[in-house]
Amino acid sequence: MFRYESLEDCPLDEDEDAFQGLGEEDEEIDQFNDDTFGSGAVDDDWQEAHERLAELEEKLPAAVNEQTGNGERDEMDLLGDHEENLAERLSKMVIENELEDPAIMTAVQTRPVLQPQPGSLNSSIWDGSEVLRRIRGPLLAQEMPAVSVLEYALPQRTPQAPEDDRDLSERALPRRSTSPVIGSPPVRAVPIGTPPKQMAVPSFNQQILCPKPVHVRPPMPPRYPAPYGERMSPNQLCSVPLQPGRMSPSQFARVPGFVGSPLAAAMNPKLLQGRVGQMLPPAPGFRAFFSAPPPATPPPPQQHPPGPGPHLQNLRSQAPMFRPDTTHLHPQHRRLLHQRQQQNRNQHRNLNGAGDRGSHRSSHHDHLRKDPYANLMLQREKDWVSKIQMMQLQSTDPYLDDFYYQNYFEKLEKLSAAEEVQGDGPKKERTKLITPQVAKLEHTYKPVQFEGSLGKLTVSSVNNPRKMIDAVVTSRSEDDETKEKQVRDKRRKTLVIIEKTYSLLLDVEDYERRYLLSLEEERPALMEERKHKICSMYDNLRGKLPGQERPSDDHFVQIMCIRKGKRMVARILPFLSTEQAADILMTTARSLPFLIKKDAQDEVLPCLLSPFSLLVYHLPSVTVTSLLQQLMNLPQSAAAPAPSNPHLTAVLQNKFGLSLLLVVLSRGEDLQSSDPAAESTQNNQWTEVMFTATQELLRIPQAALAKPLSIPTNLVSLFSRYVDRQKLNLLETKLQLVQGIR
Amino acid sequence: RRDSSRNENKKHLVLLRDGRTLIGFLRSIDQFANLVLHQTVERIHVGKKYGDIPRGIFVVRGENVVLLGEIDLEKESDTPLQQVSIEEILEEQRVEQQTRLEAEKLKVQALKDREKEVQTEEVRGSQS
Repeated sequence: MFRYESLEDCPLDEDEDAFQGLGEEDEEIDQFNDDTFGSGAVDDDWQEAHERLAELEEKLPAAVNEQTGNGERDEMDLLGDHEENLAERLSKMVIENELEDPAIMTAVQTRPVLQPQPGSLNSSIWDGSEVLRRIRGPLLAQEMPAVSVLEYALPQRTPQAPEDDRDLSERALPRRSTSPVIGSPPVRAVPIGTPPKQMAVPSFNQQILCPKPVHVRPPMPPRYPAPYGERMSPNQLCSVPLQPGRMSPSQFARVPGFVGSPLAAAMNPKLLQGRVGQMLPPAPGFRAFFSAPPPATPPPPQQHPPGPGPHLQNLRSQAPMFRPDTTHLHPQHRRLLHQRQQQNRNQHRNLNGAGDRGSHRSSHHDHLRKDPYANLMLQREKDWVSKIQMMQLQSTDPYLDDFYYQNYFEKLEKLSAAEEVQGDGPKKERTKLITPQVAKLEHTYKPVQFEGSLGKLTVSSVNNPRKMIDAVVTSRSEDDETKEKQVRDKRRKTLVIIEKTYSLLLDVEDYERRYLLSLEEERPALMEERKHKICSMYDNLRGKLPGQERPSDDHFVQIMCIRKGKRMVARILPFLSTEQAADILMTTARSLPFLIKKDAQDEVLPCLLSPFSLLVYHLPSVTVTSLLQQLMNLPQSAAAPAPSNPHLTAVLQNKFGLSLLLVVLSRGEDLQSSDPAAESTQNNQWTEVMFTATQELLRIPQAALAKPLSIPTNLVSLFSRYVDRQKLNLLETKLQLVQGIR
Repeated sequence: RRDSSRNENKKHLVLLRDGRTLIGFLRSIDQFANLVLHQTVERIHVGKKYGDIPRGIFVVRGENVVLLGEIDLEKESDTPLQQVSIEEILEEQRVEQQTRLEAEKLKVQALKDREKEVQTEEVRGSQS
């Protein structure tokens, strides 16, 4: 027979006489029952009810005495239970067993069924909604109950004992999983779907459906010296034990005034005595649902290990006074928010001023007021959700966590700064974003453990993921592949290389910022890393295989066939050394027609023009010469010019190609004009190439030419060196070198 | 990033991942953006017309929410859009769907052709 220690004194099997008068029991029953039976809970009603039942007893001595065999029932009858539906149960019992006996039948029928008395506190949950209605108090939070929620005198001793054999905790809701950081949402005693009317409390949480002798004491400020002022807001409670500035909904969730959890009381009889609001010290792992450390308590004596259940709290539930923390927002953002709020308020004010609109709005307000479904979510719950949302904004590295947000507001600031510079002077203070330096607490996840059990549960959760599938990578053999498959694989490999190189690129681009943020000692290491990554990028691009003197162009060309590859190369170029970059440029020039063909649909090549131009202006004369040769596919010797030059044609017909060509020409001209005393060999080479180049250019029909992205200004002087006036004019018109022609 | 939980009991517009637009009174929200919408209306937009289908109470799982915004009740009627009947809007939607499917088909075909072209090029390229 399951027994609470609290009710040890009231065993079922023993002497009937023991139950003659409950008053006798007072000394033997421990304090828990004091609350149940003693003065704490029900007052006079108890005694009245007892008297009533005693009268009943007298009424049917005969009936009962006949059933001495059924000891349990006897005990029941004599229990003097002040619970009114005991009578019901009794009658049920009697009816079942004693259907034939007319005497008993009459007796049963005449037994007055105790109506739930309006003022009585002896309501049981089975009394029906009428009674339940009055049981509000702690269940509809934010109210101070003056009523005890539930009260069962001696259900244990009833024949329902077999049912009660089960552990109380089975009836309770399974414990809600708690995140160690966030906690859980404030538990509502009333399910959220309940319309807010005071009337019906349709269904209780299972937590309340406890048949155990649980007496939940209403918060009794005068009785128990509260360890802290009742008026202390959750805000204060939150702030003290934790790092200032760090708010987490966990404390918030744990703070709400949850009075009257019958389950809690059941678990901890001693808890009810003096430790109103027994608090658990914050445990890193699993936290009891309701606990929150009060700031000023004397160290809570851990006499009775709290056990798995939630604890009784006697906090006065107040609407929390704080608003969700907006400090995590960028100051610009906050300003915008406030502005918007202001506008709204102004709008409302304006509207209220106007006649018709005013009335319209008031009717709108009326409508809101009458909306019975409004505020289904308590302010507390709303704030809790906001807390979580705000918590998500906390970060130790905003650039990492929230790149676009940061960038957006930086841009805005730059814009406004630019405007200010033009304007009168800084009107608004230019606030720098000071991100809250939140120390990232290391939460070591401890898997859920039950006390007293051996071993750990194998539970997989967000914090503790488990491998579900063993995925093994099998590389296909080279033999059975078809040509197409090989092609596809090659393309895929290229794509993978692009992705890897891109990651390197993003890292390299980020080094500047990291450099600024880092300490002196770390900087050389950072530089090394950066260099190393740049080398890796280059190697990736060129695809250098071991044992090769010069890498083949093929690898690079493959990369350049893919749109992303081209964009990536454009971004990488500034980081490469001049030699490396020149190498890339040459390779591009060599394969330019092919690349042009491949770029027909993407049309992304022009993005390379800018970095290439920059590079070209740093190139020495030799390189420029050979570059020009490559671009125009001019034969090394001027001996036998080919009848047609498809390479050049392709280049000229393409925007990028032509633009690049013009850039190269321009650079050549720069070199020539700037340094006339240059080495003669170089000079000669250049001159030769130029001659051939001009010849080719003259040959090409104008219609075939593309429109270049930009035309360098010094081309006229360039060509004037090598061609006569007539041809110069031709070239001018053809290439549209003179501004006016356009 | 305003606290959405401050906007209870005002009309809200929710866009779902499947493209549906719901308008209703937001009664409850949680940290996953699970929503409880009351007196919800599904609004279908086609061009400049729209139609409302009353739906009742919605409980939306947060992962399906794309965005959620508050409707300014005063500005709500200030719209160039024209409200039509449900039948009409559904018909319009069907027509739009059809044209879109056809355009899609053409696109897919074009892409397939391009894919083939790329592959043949590469085969040729790798052979050379």
